Amino acid sequence: MRRPSLVAVIAITVVTLLYAPIVLVIINSFNADKLLVAWGGFTTEWYSEALSDERVRNAFMTSIKVALLSTAFSLVIAITAAMWTRRALAGRRRLFDATTFLRIILPETVFALGLFLLFARYDIPLGIPAIVIGHVVFNSAYATIIIQARFSTMDTTLESAAADLGAPPWRVFRRVTLPLILPAVIAASLLVFSFSFDDVVTSLFLGGTNAETLPVLLLGMIRLHVTPEVNAIGVMVMLTTTALFAVAAGVISIRSAAGARASAKQGRAT
Amino acid sequence: MITRRSILVVPTVVWAGIFFFIPLGLLIFYSFGQIDIFTFDVTWGWTFENYQRIIDPLYFKPIMRGVGISLLATSMCLVIGFPVALWMSRLSGIAQSLLLVAVMVPFWASFVVRTYALVNLLSDGGPVADALQAVGVGNGAPGIMYTPLAVAIGIVYSYLPLMILPLFVALERIDPSLLQASADLGASSFRGFRRVTLPLAAPGIVAGCVLVGIPATGEYVIPAILGGGKTLLVGNVIADQFLKLGDYPFGSALAVALMLALMAVLVIARSRLRNAEDVA
Repeated sequence: MRRPSLVAVIAITVVTLLYAPIVLVIINSFNADKLLVAWGGFTTEWYSEALSDERVRNAFMTSIKVALLSTAFSLVIAITAAMWTRRALAGRRRLFDATTFLRIILPETVFALGLFLLFARYDIPLGIPAIVIGHVVFNSAYATIIIQARFSTMDTTLESAAADLGAPPWRVFRRVTLPLILPAVIAASLLVFSFSFDDVVTSLFLGGTNAETLPVLLLGMIRLHVTPEVNAIGVMVMLTTTALFAVAAGVISIRSAAGARASAKQGRAT
Repeated sequence: MITRRSILVVPTVVWAGIFFFIPLGLLIFYSFGQIDIFTFDVTWGWTFENYQRIIDPLYFKPIMRGVGISLLATSMCLVIGFPVALWMSRLSGIAQSLLLVAVMVPFWASFVVRTYALVNLLSDGGPVADALQAVGVGNGAPGIMYTPLAVAIGIVYSYLPLMILPLFVALERIDPSLLQASADLGASSFRGFRRVTLPLAAPGIVAGCVLVGIPATGEYVIPAILGGGKTLLVGNVIADQFLKLGDYPFGSALAVALMLALMAVLVIARSRLRNAEDVA
């Protein structure tokens, strides 16, 4: 057998190091030692403390509300936009895609502060609606790209057939288009929900004193060095977002597998 | 001409127009304004004063320090990510998919928690301090928390997958027979790497550096946790002008300058990518 190459050794070390901090957080979330300097025995005290903390519960509910609302708005914007780009002229399509790209690549700090300025100028109060508005700006861009990718693998035959058979546009959308893009819509919702749930910068700048999401609360607790509880909340938040991402990844890969199979079938038919 | 199809693009145009482009325009507008330091009233004078202040050493030094940390973090990402991507590209089937998932999973965990996770490791008396002491480097084992290095490590830890993925895609595409050919013609494996692998991986390197470097420059949370308010990135300098000091015009000027600088980087990166594709 070949001796392991230097590249492999480095790669394995790096991947192991990626997990070390997370494992430490998980271990410490069960550590009874309050100062976390040594192992003080197993406890679930921090979890019950976190779960019974009203501020944590409120922040969790705020995060859920923000994430649900921003997902809903982002989906409407993304689905309509992706449908428009299917038949848009090439020049307009390129311009549109550039603005989508810009919403993703521009540092969040910059545009969140721009929105902060807008709200300050017109005396619009900060809070949940302001956070949702900010999240939708970038979340709708991510969702648009995912749904556009789905559209690029399908043609308009089925929809034209439905229209030829007399279905009005709304019915074509509901009975033909939507079922076809459903996997992409589900994947986009899960991703966008977790981006929103996990966001700090926009939520911090636009929440003001009226709304505190869970990541913003966590950031505050970390700055004040409230450690044992932070570990427990952190593990719960990590489980939530990881689960959402895993399901999204699963849906996307099923979709691309299905897409590959469908195009293979088409290839054989022609 | 407004057709029925055009209605579909209206939600995006309205949302992105009002809540993305108008705020950016407002930043540009404010950046030429002046603020009364007692009443916080903003007046418009079409002054370049705010932009001149950026070059003032008082502000320019921390800004360049922030840029330096972002560059350090991006190059650390490249150096650490390259071997991982290279190994990933040499694996096949299930092993490759597993490694890909292994790299992505920490990226899925909550951003704040991931950054906070490093606090335990980097603070005084933590494992990193212990290790440094064991090697005999860190005398008295002070941790590296609240140092520029801690912030750079935080960025690397959070953004590494964004570097590895484009590198992997570029390396995966390289035809192994090219390396075989260079070996047959007598090139050492290092020479093969330098003359064949590296140039062909250039698009991935550029893409990875852009994907890591741009968000790293505007990063706010990582320095807030690992920099302890002392080590700032450009994002923090800008945010502080708005949130702590209330100096909107100067904050806007900084934000606009950052946007312009990043645009320039993007344009250069794009032309580089195109050149690289022409070669390949």
